[in-house]
Amino acid sequence: MGDGSGSRWSRAEWVQQYDLLGKIGEGTYGLVFLARTKTPSPSKSIAIKKFKQSKDGDGVSPTAIREIMLLREITHENVVKLVNVHINHADMSLYLAFDYAEHDLYEIIRHHRDKLNHSINQYTVKSLLWQLLNGLSYLHSNWMIHRDLKPSNILVMGEGEEHGVVKIADFGLARIYQAPLKPLSDNGVVVTIWYRAPELLLGAKHYTSAVDMWAVGCIFAELLTLKPLFQGAEVKATSNPFQLDQLDKIFKVLGHPTLEKWPSLASLPHWQQDVQHIQGHKYDNTGLYNVVHLSTKSPAYDLLSKMLEYDPRKRITAAQALEHEYFKIEPLPGRNALVPCQLGEKIVNYPTRPVDNTTDLEGTTNLAASQAVTAVSGSMPGAHGSNRSVPRPMNVVGMQRLPPQPMGAYNLTSQAAMGDGMNPGNISKQRGVPQGHPQQV
Amino acid sequence: MEVDVDGSLSYPEPQMTAKDSGEKHSRTKPLSIEEEQCIRVFYENKLQEVCNNFRFPHKIQATALIYFKRFYLQWSVMEHQPKHIMLTCIYAACKIEENHVSAEELGKGISQDHQMILNNEMISLEFDLIVYAPYRSVEGFIIDMEEFCNSGDDQLQMLKSVSCNISSLPPQIYVTIGGYWATLQDTARLEVDKMMLTDAPLLFPPGQLALAALGNSNALHNVIDFDSYLGSIFQGQNSLHTMAELAESLHAIDSCESWFSSVLRVDHCGMQVKKYKIPSEKELKHINRKLKSCWGHSSHDEYFLQPYIELHAGPKDLPKTKNLLGKKREKKSKHKSKRSSNEAQNMASLA
Repeated sequence: MGDGSGSRWSRAEWVQQYDLLGKIGEGTYGLVFLARTKTPSPSKSIAIKKFKQSKDGDGVSPTAIREIMLLREITHENVVKLVNVHINHADMSLYLAFDYAEHDLYEIIRHHRDKLNHSINQYTVKSLLWQLLNGLSYLHSNWMIHRDLKPSNILVMGEGEEHGVVKIADFGLARIYQAPLKPLSDNGVVVTIWYRAPELLLGAKHYTSAVDMWAVGCIFAELLTLKPLFQGAEVKATSNPFQLDQLDKIFKVLGHPTLEKWPSLASLPHWQQDVQHIQGHKYDNTGLYNVVHLSTKSPAYDLLSKMLEYDPRKRITAAQALEHEYFKIEPLPGRNALVPCQLGEKIVNYPTRPVDNTTDLEGTTNLAASQAVTAVSGSMPGAHGSNRSVPRPMNVVGMQRLPPQPMGAYNLTSQAAMGDGMNPGNISKQRGVPQGHPQQV
Repeated sequence: MEVDVDGSLSYPEPQMTAKDSGEKHSRTKPLSIEEEQCIRVFYENKLQEVCNNFRFPHKIQATALIYFKRFYLQWSVMEHQPKHIMLTCIYAACKIEENHVSAEELGKGISQDHQMILNNEMISLEFDLIVYAPYRSVEGFIIDMEEFCNSGDDQLQMLKSVSCNISSLPPQIYVTIGGYWATLQDTARLEVDKMMLTDAPLLFPPGQLALAALGNSNALHNVIDFDSYLGSIFQGQNSLHTMAELAESLHAIDSCESWFSSVLRVDHCGMQVKKYKIPSEKELKHINRKLKSCWGHSSHDEYFLQPYIELHAGPKDLPKTKNLLGKKREKKSKHKSKRSSNEAQNMASLA
């Protein structure tokens, strides 16, 4: 942000610490901006997440509160770092500053599927998965469940000291599950539908960190095939409706769960109430190896199937998964997931996040300001290489995030769907899902 | 209010003194440290009262209390009205503990404008929000003590053979009837309630607080031989550990001493509970009058009374609004290192 526009922020002193480059994402929670710190040098890229004021008149959104409370408490190489919390007392707006990550699994997968037309190399898949599990194991050992793992929330650092390092992000739905005062189900629907564990789909009142492991399984498969594993159509309704299609998609691949393999199944509300629906289609067991094109004898398949175990008690934990044979055979996972250590492997140059420099911190679009910003960002030393020199209009969104699910306890009213609202047509087309990117209403 | 060149304060005097005829001085006097503490204790009691009236779980009450304390580590009651902050702390605690109560509902329950709760909420975000209260540790220790007593005979034999000073234990003090445990736990909980009103929860990890509370409770009910139980904790650690973990165990034994002394220190804080008398109405009235003149007419302005801190703490400790977070971090990290370096706490969480 040049001097010209600087004065606009002067009422909030903290803004002066940053050069604002533009908007890189948007969701129901608010907007995400890319900025660079002015000091210390060399300056760092920062993602500033601005939270909208909650409209229901109940103060700071629980999403923001969760991010602040949890992220302040934890430090791990594979978890996004909350650098600062800024409060504008004047208009009661809240800004969280994170270390910026250039990539995320959603964009990486999309790049391979739509641009490169070839799968992600084995080293990268394994390294991404290992680091994701490493971060998750840390969270789980601290009694935190993430509850919204999906490719767009798994960030990967761009060029720099931490190049290719995975960062678990978006703790808006995360919580501590030790000794809860109320059943976890009181928080309403959690996890984006395609990554939602069967116990959640069947209406479990209490659940554990195993829900995150199911999501990791889905992400693992997606990294292998470049396609979401279980693309169910979401039933939209105000309160947690029964998601038959999603379950059906799962059963089609994994077969029906049985009481034998999953004894507590009988106590799950939807299993009891909807037995006929659920058992309506009979599927022959398992097409999983077919879907992911893995030999049933391969360690990768073994690990995946343990992540997609129906019974949450038997599902592999993050700590166990890290010890799995898959990670002990070549190629071994590495710290820079994007650049293979072995020679001969081609390095993929992933696109950087598009920056919309026409939107200011207030979220208002300002075309006049855009030129000034462009000039500044262009002349910024080391401002993210050549890719960014011509900022594209905002047709793709970084830091995607589903709107926070309607949480009974918090009375979140249904909100405009983020993907559709700000990202005209793009995502649903690319995802090949007629009903669009799955989201909660 | 204005700050003179020499750092002293001057006030746009007239109305205040005219209105407040009881005040002799034309200048507003800041509260003394004792008066501030008095006011805080009063509202901490109030906070517990409100939480009880709403039948909130202990965990929420404890969280809210800690927020209140953390808040006034940084600010003065002359800057932020404790009544408002108290309610905001309760509101924030409910949110954090995933037991949401709407501001409106909370305001209604105590006939206060809920907007004020919301106005202050943001400030609560400036300090760490996760609170580990001793209540759960109390439960954990009770379970552990029961186990200790059930396997009492063996333990005792073992202890006798390794340590001579424990062999002088009176033989049958192990009462294992459930009712005794419930009484022990209930009294310990009340002890924790009392401790929560002191500075102890800012200084000691929850596990130690819980043990101290159980110690006090046990002194009353005599359910268990407390000293040999404490001994057994370290005994157990030893036997569980492998050679590779020997170093760690040694450290645990090492920290045993400081741990005992810290329990003693907690006891001192416990003593303070008795010292913290709820201020008399007259005292309160007086303090409140002073407070009102401190808040002046611009009491909505959250930061205008900054210089008061200076009067109290000296310029060195003056918190600057803009580096507030940095300061908080410092304080916090001190806590953290205390917590993490302490083996006793780890044991408490294991138990």
